[in-house]
Amino acid sequence: MSTLYALLYYFATLVLVAGLALKIRQYAKTPAPLKIPTTPAPTTGGGVFWRMLRELVFFESLFKSNKWIWLFGYLFHVGLLIVLLRHLRYFTQPVWFWVEWIQPFGVYASFAMVIGLAGLWARRFLVERIRYISSPSDHLMLALLLGIAISGMMMKFVDGTDIVAVKVFFLGLMRFQINELPTQTPLLVHLGLVALLMIIFPISKLLHAPGVFFSPTRNQVDNPREKRHLAAWAAELER
Amino acid sequence: MAPLDDDSKKNDVRGPEGHPLEIPRLACGAMADLKSYPAHPAHQEALGFPGELIDNWKEVAIAKIGDLASKNRAFQVYLDACVKCGACTDKCHYFLGTGDPKNMPVARQDLLRSVYRRYYTFAGKNFPWLVGARDLTREVLDEWYNYYHQCSQCRRCSVFCPYGIDTAEISMAAREILDTVGVGQKYCNEIIAKVKDIGNNLGLNPKALRATLEDLEEDLEDETGISVRLPLDEKGADILLITPSADFFAEPHIDGLLGYAKVFHAAGVSWTLSSYASEAANFGMFIGSYENMREIALRIRKAAIELGVKRIVFGECGHAWRVAYSFLNTLAGPFDFLDQNYPIPQHILEFTYNEIQKGTLKFDKSRNDEFRMTYHDSCNVARGSRMGDMPGGQFEIPRAVLRAVCNNYFDMDRDTIMESTVCCGGGGGLLTDELMDLRTKGASPRMKALQQVTKDHGVTHMAAICAICKTQFSKVMPKFGYEMDSILSVHQLVSNAIILDGQESNPDGQASIKDQQEADDNSATAAEE
Amino acid sequence: MSYQVNGTTVEHDEEGYITTLSDWSKDLAEVIAKQEDINMNEEHWEVVNFLRDYYEEYQIAPAVRVLIKAVKKTMGPEKGNNKYMYELFPYGPAKQACKIAGLPKPTGCV
Repeated sequence: MSTLYALLYYFATLVLVAGLALKIRQYAKTPAPLKIPTTPAPTTGGGVFWRMLRELVFFESLFKSNKWIWLFGYLFHVGLLIVLLRHLRYFTQPVWFWVEWIQPFGVYASFAMVIGLAGLWARRFLVERIRYISSPSDHLMLALLLGIAISGMMMKFVDGTDIVAVKVFFLGLMRFQINELPTQTPLLVHLGLVALLMIIFPISKLLHAPGVFFSPTRNQVDNPREKRHLAAWAAELER
Repeated sequence: MAPLDDDSKKNDVRGPEGHPLEIPRLACGAMADLKSYPAHPAHQEALGFPGELIDNWKEVAIAKIGDLASKNRAFQVYLDACVKCGACTDKCHYFLGTGDPKNMPVARQDLLRSVYRRYYTFAGKNFPWLVGARDLTREVLDEWYNYYHQCSQCRRCSVFCPYGIDTAEISMAAREILDTVGVGQKYCNEIIAKVKDIGNNLGLNPKALRATLEDLEEDLEDETGISVRLPLDEKGADILLITPSADFFAEPHIDGLLGYAKVFHAAGVSWTLSSYASEAANFGMFIGSYENMREIALRIRKAAIELGVKRIVFGECGHAWRVAYSFLNTLAGPFDFLDQNYPIPQHILEFTYNEIQKGTLKFDKSRNDEFRMTYHDSCNVARGSRMGDMPGGQFEIPRAVLRAVCNNYFDMDRDTIMESTVCCGGGGGLLTDELMDLRTKGASPRMKALQQVTKDHGVTHMAAICAICKTQFSKVMPKFGYEMDSILSVHQLVSNAIILDGQESNPDGQASIKDQQEADDNSATAAEE
Repeated sequence: MSYQVNGTTVEHDEEGYITTLSDWSKDLAEVIAKQEDINMNEEHWEVVNFLRDYYEEYQIAPAVRVLIKAVKKTMGPEKGNNKYMYELFPYGPAKQACKIAGLPKPTGCV
């Protein structure tokens, strides 16, 4: 079982990193032929930095759009972030002080995650418009994330896991050694689902994570009169 | 034909009750059969597209998706990034007006995205049912045609998307794909062919343009008692004015043109129109064709060089201003031969606003007292361009000019103006009679917002700075209880209020509406209704 | 898509504008007008004739304002106004009158 999970994690990591790298390279290399920031837009690079930061930190556009989606989406994403940071303790020795410090918050954050996911999922059933646009994969993605969150919380609140052994396992993986992984069901479910998430990340709508950084309507500077913008393929037309 | 007949009857489509942005129940398939007329082979070919549907259309269309995705980052990212969160679902005026779920931005995007997934993604190739991927069939192609011609590319959805996904980018790409396989739209493609042939959307040749301008100069002299010129093809003028050809033809557009002429006259600048570049609008954008858009834009560059002007100013035209402000430098630049002390290009409202700031214009605001005004932010000006130096100048400057020439001005509901403005319902290549049902329904959010300010503040008229908005509103307003001339050009109001040297204001400050009367040098007149 | 007039067939496009301008005749104008729910009277003919004359000289329909000015000269100010034009041609003097006059449809943002 330990070997199986070790191989699974090597594979999942490879897919995640290579897949994302390829996608990011594709986005970065694809030219934006025209200036299309959604205006009013910042007129300087610094302004764009703040605009992007507000999108990333506060989900500004979503807040303007729909308070319920914003609330549930925000709870989920912030919860996920804190939980992920909390998990850094499995990969660092000694554990960084601020990771120690956020440990208790991570527990609450897991509840925020679950509430957020449940709210988002409920909307896919209850709101006619969103029911209409939902594909099976949209439901399965939420099921997957909920499965990860709940199996993780099971280990904390119901069926305690030997987290020291788990840490030894992951630190070992980072040094290309395969150590013994505990075999409680919640742990195996949790780790299996996380590996699955990592694998589908680069081939699913989770690409919104890198995509947001490359969205021309958000990341372009509003200065077309001052500075001529020309894509390489468009410059060819001028020859 | 039915669409033409409907329009003659005045019927209130929606009562004044109801919030402008009230969300309808889904009406699946409500607009599925609405199809705008296909382009004729001759117009297709004039644009460099096949005359009719080609035999291997499926392969070509699929390849075109990949080609466009490799050339346009926005298209590639927006095909991948949507999470179906639903934030955009209630943001499209066509969805609000029709209830057809395929007019929800995410669903409109998915018409194309589902095909992209099928042929370009691992999940769609292997598990199409799971991710909503589908084969490209003739039915899908027809569905693209119908629904991508129910998008006015107004970008309202992109304001509210957490990733900035702009349905306009998807719909432009879809139209480019449709054109590439030979099924373009008549309205857009016939017009683009005309621009390439004659120089403007209308097909107004230089002789007819000159005659029209001379006729209007007579009107101006009758009205003001002084000679206000509308120069054409005058070499050595400082300013080249590029304005939509509707300004030479339609009401209330022409009144705007007379307003520009008076402002230039009062500012004491020399200016000219061009018979070669006699169109501001650039429908190349509507069909997503960079090459066609560039060809049209280059006419402006050529005219500016040949006439030896120092500046380029654009008249009131919404999509034109987006192409001019955001794309002209890219498409037809660099403009190193123009005077770099002025914005290149400049909007007529920037020009007028600057003159007001300098104090060179004199107004008698009371001449507009018969109007209680509001202002419709045209979508492509609001969300695809700017005026002035500061972000949001495209909202402030038109309002500042309106307040300078009118005593009674009121804004509509904040959620329906500025960056959240709702489209007039006729933009992006939809201003064609066979789409009148869609145009009327798409206009309903704006009309309800107008009805609110009519109820609350007694607003009687609405001003706009887009040729499409003006025509669209003059057609649909009668269906919502307004007169067709309740839509005004901003520069029409400027024209009404401005007092030129040699004219004097009425002593009693009253507006005088005189129709075609001989006016002597000392009497003031307002523009005809 | 065609009109039948005096036993001949005249092709028109999707919106009822004839495709070959030289096919036009007064009888055809009556046929088109009937389809548009318009009974051609003297005033209608005044407008249609002006449009045809203008087109012959300039290869395009006149601006509405130019048309109105001309009508005002011949029919007087009470008829030379936008409102009356729309009474004559409810779908608009530019588009509907052009159709009856056998001219191409004005295109663009109009």
